Amino acid sequence: MKGITVLILLFGTFVSAQNLQMQQDSVDVQLDEIVIIAAKKKKIETEMKMAVSVDEFLASSDNISFIKRGAYAWEPLLNNMSTERSIITIDGMHVFGACTDKMDPVTSYVESNNLAEIDIQSGQAGGLNGATVAGSIDLKRKSTSFGLSKKWNAAYQTGFEFNNNQFFNLGNASYSGEKLVAEGSISYRKAENYSDGNNDEVNHSQYDKFNTSLGLAYKTSDLSALRVDAIFDKAKDVGFPALPMDLSLSRALITSVAYKQFFENGIVKVWDTKLYFNAVEHYMDDTTRPENLVHMDMPGWSTTYGMVSKINLKKEKFASEIQLNAYDNLSIAEMRMYPQDRSERTMFAFSWPWVTTQYAGLSTSNTYDISEKSQLNFGGALGVNYNYSKYVEFNRIFHPSASQEKTRFLPSLHAGYNLDINQFNLSVGGGYGHRAPSVSEGYGYYIYNSFDRYDYIGNPDLKNEVSYEVNASAGYKTKKGGILAKANYFYIQDYIIGRILSAGSPMNYQSVGVKGYTSLDNATLFNFSLNGKYTVLKDLHWKGTLTYARGLDDNKNNLPFIRPLSYQTSLHYAYQKFGFSTSLNGDYKQINYSPEYGEDQTPSYTNWNASANYTFYIDGYKTVFQVGAENILNEYYSTYADWGNIPRMGRNIFTSLKINF
Amino acid sequence: MKLIQFTVFVLFVVVTSCTLDKTDYEAELVTETTEYIEYEEVTAIVSENYTIRIEALNGTLYKGYNEIHLKINNSQTNESLDNSEVTFLPIITDANGNKSSCPHAYNLVYNDNEGYYTGYAVFTSESDSTVHWEIYIDITDNGEVTTVNPAITIAEQNNLNLNMTAFTGNDGEHYFIALVAPQSPSVSQNDLLAGIYKYNKPTSNAGTFPDASQYSYSVVKNHTLLLDPRMPEPSMGNHSSPNNQDLTQESDGLYYGVVNYTMTGNWTLNFILKNENDDIIKGTEVSTEFTPGIEGEKGELHIDILF
Repeated sequence: MKGITVLILLFGTFVSAQNLQMQQDSVDVQLDEIVIIAAKKKKIETEMKMAVSVDEFLASSDNISFIKRGAYAWEPLLNNMSTERSIITIDGMHVFGACTDKMDPVTSYVESNNLAEIDIQSGQAGGLNGATVAGSIDLKRKSTSFGLSKKWNAAYQTGFEFNNNQFFNLGNASYSGEKLVAEGSISYRKAENYSDGNNDEVNHSQYDKFNTSLGLAYKTSDLSALRVDAIFDKAKDVGFPALPMDLSLSRALITSVAYKQFFENGIVKVWDTKLYFNAVEHYMDDTTRPENLVHMDMPGWSTTYGMVSKINLKKEKFASEIQLNAYDNLSIAEMRMYPQDRSERTMFAFSWPWVTTQYAGLSTSNTYDISEKSQLNFGGALGVNYNYSKYVEFNRIFHPSASQEKTRFLPSLHAGYNLDINQFNLSVGGGYGHRAPSVSEGYGYYIYNSFDRYDYIGNPDLKNEVSYEVNASAGYKTKKGGILAKANYFYIQDYIIGRILSAGSPMNYQSVGVKGYTSLDNATLFNFSLNGKYTVLKDLHWKGTLTYARGLDDNKNNLPFIRPLSYQTSLHYAYQKFGFSTSLNGDYKQINYSPEYGEDQTPSYTNWNASANYTFYIDGYKTVFQVGAENILNEYYSTYADWGNIPRMGRNIFTSLKINF
Repeated sequence: MKLIQFTVFVLFVVVTSCTLDKTDYEAELVTETTEYIEYEEVTAIVSENYTIRIEALNGTLYKGYNEIHLKINNSQTNESLDNSEVTFLPIITDANGNKSSCPHAYNLVYNDNEGYYTGYAVFTSESDSTVHWEIYIDITDNGEVTTVNPAITIAEQNNLNLNMTAFTGNDGEHYFIALVAPQSPSVSQNDLLAGIYKYNKPTSNAGTFPDASQYSYSVVKNHTLLLDPRMPEPSMGNHSSPNNQDLTQESDGLYYGVVNYTMTGNWTLNFILKNENDDIIKGTEVSTEFTPGIEGEKGELHIDILF
């Protein structure tokens, strides 16, 4: 009995943030929860496509949109805010990309077969892992529990996509013993250039990605376990059609050691401490572009050491998580130029002049059940953020009095109230929080942004960005379906954005001027989404989403990268061993675009997709075969957030096969 | 447990191997430009009554600006000669045997604390098989004048940050601009020091050689040197930097300004020299356009540097 409880707890806490309610309830309830979580675990696939990349999976969430510079490593925007404003973690570990141009968001260093789920928190509710404005995206790794009845589990997935000749093989296996758990995954994807809706090849859109992960857990006692995890990711020959350069190699090693202790009695339920280390190297260069007279290498390195320790408490109607987070990151990026021959290097500068960021924060998130029907959530954090620029002379060129060291205090608070009345669900909430400028915003030096074609200069003495946020949602559910409306509004003080510097002279070959990161007095952002689902027939399900957002600066001008009115609607039909899906998604014409920040108007587009799958058994192993097509009408389009208006992929027929052992 | 140990070991090996080496920035700056701070002996002249030691940075006289220290010892009394009148006149003899000089401090100033005479010279060319330099030093001690004229060697200045230029101004006068500092700039805000000199055309006929009145130079006073630094290479597209300050004269006679170098490489310091009435003595404005692929245009008056 005890064993089961431990197992359940382990399972729950490794997998889900929803474990707070689970710990003291009866075992029956816990088992129910597990079923739900197990269902959730399979969700690194969309209804349309079972072999999705992490990016494609994230794209199916209604508060995530993407900036795309090619076919690879899309930058996720949460609540229409870029990655400086959100916290992206892997199992709570901070990882920072090594590319000054944000060509390696954290999501590019994992693969769908080493993830169990992705936990997205909007706004200050995501402040548990660190200071944020937009919210948090936590990529949760797969974690097998101890003593499963089926000791060995494995899955293999392969597929081919015809548009860009993408061939992928993903495999993972796990062993679950009474005392020891071992699991691993390995994957390789290789894609060539894709073709747009006019059947023209988009040059420099190929990629090649290898990813592997390993996890070992050892049960040190009935109530404790030690776990070691590692992910190694390597991408090479990745083209970025929207940029003047490509990625020759990127590597990431993400490691952690965690010790978890459960407590049977008392209000402390779990204490989980993790030490982690990760190193990222990212080498961009433009030798693949012979048209450039001068060549530039832009290597970057990012190394992070960190610790996260959390305890979960529960007493009667009150549940709480308290977390201590600390990390130390060193970010280095260089610019090296040479006319044609790399050995004849003539020019050099740091685009990140050895910038150290140290953060320590204590945060808490609490739930109080006022009644069966209503619930109060509240929490807060206090963080200390310290920056040090080793070669501060680079920063002092534009900001002569720039300080070499900077310490900031980052408080945050949030509260929400949730009420269920019969079939209705209502919630309201609010939040307040600070964030420190990112390394680029604070210390970046001639970072070329090919969207507006400006070189960006950081300012070490920028003020903290302060966010005030309100959110609300209302839902109605019946047995056959439901509808949910969600809205949030952010008022962001000292909003950091690039403004043209008249003093500067561009450095990068293709740039037109220099922008400095400055603080606008304020900016506001409004996000709205409407989700509906309905079971038309027993096996015919409909789902739809509509999103709208608006962002304004202090002069009531539009902010850039705000998604226009967009929709997604899909039908899913199951017939015996067959499943059929079809979906439409698209954006309306971008009305509120922002010429001040380099945007032009993007026309509307619609994508029609369809897929079919068939489930059968080979030697008793469940096998699913899927075939489908994306952008069936071969529409030529680019979205509001496509860098340089590069066209998206045209018609793409995809196939995949998955076997579970 | 062994497996864990093994994994940790493998991870450690992977971590410590970086594919591409980071640039050692400090080392890179030093290899391009060496900064000399020690004054060392260039040569010592032993005359009947005196031993004269000439000292300069790194013990070498270079083309361009050189601060010069003279230590004079009375070999009779074996005491150093303080507070005397010492003059210093460099003379160059070219391939045709023509003699001329270069900007220099004729009357050396005695530095009480350090016990030497200080001056400077802006040597305008290197010594070679056809170009010879010598100096004429007159020491007046108790009304008695001793003259020595050692030959000296002027070495090539490899550090372009101490480069110089000579030109004829719009007023017909002959001018010299020599960079004095920084010897070893960095990607940062650098204090830029330059000496500006002019040749004083002789008003009388030459007397007995060497007649100092024929080789007279003076520090240009109260002018302004407007500065526009740019990277001339085609790949840099006429790149410039912000927050630079024009050079103005300070009490030591040198001109002080601020130059910002945004990256290492070749830079051209474009100058416009203006007199106290704001008339342009020399120099033209250069284009401020960003022109990738085209070699940056240099102004009429400029000095090239590299670091």
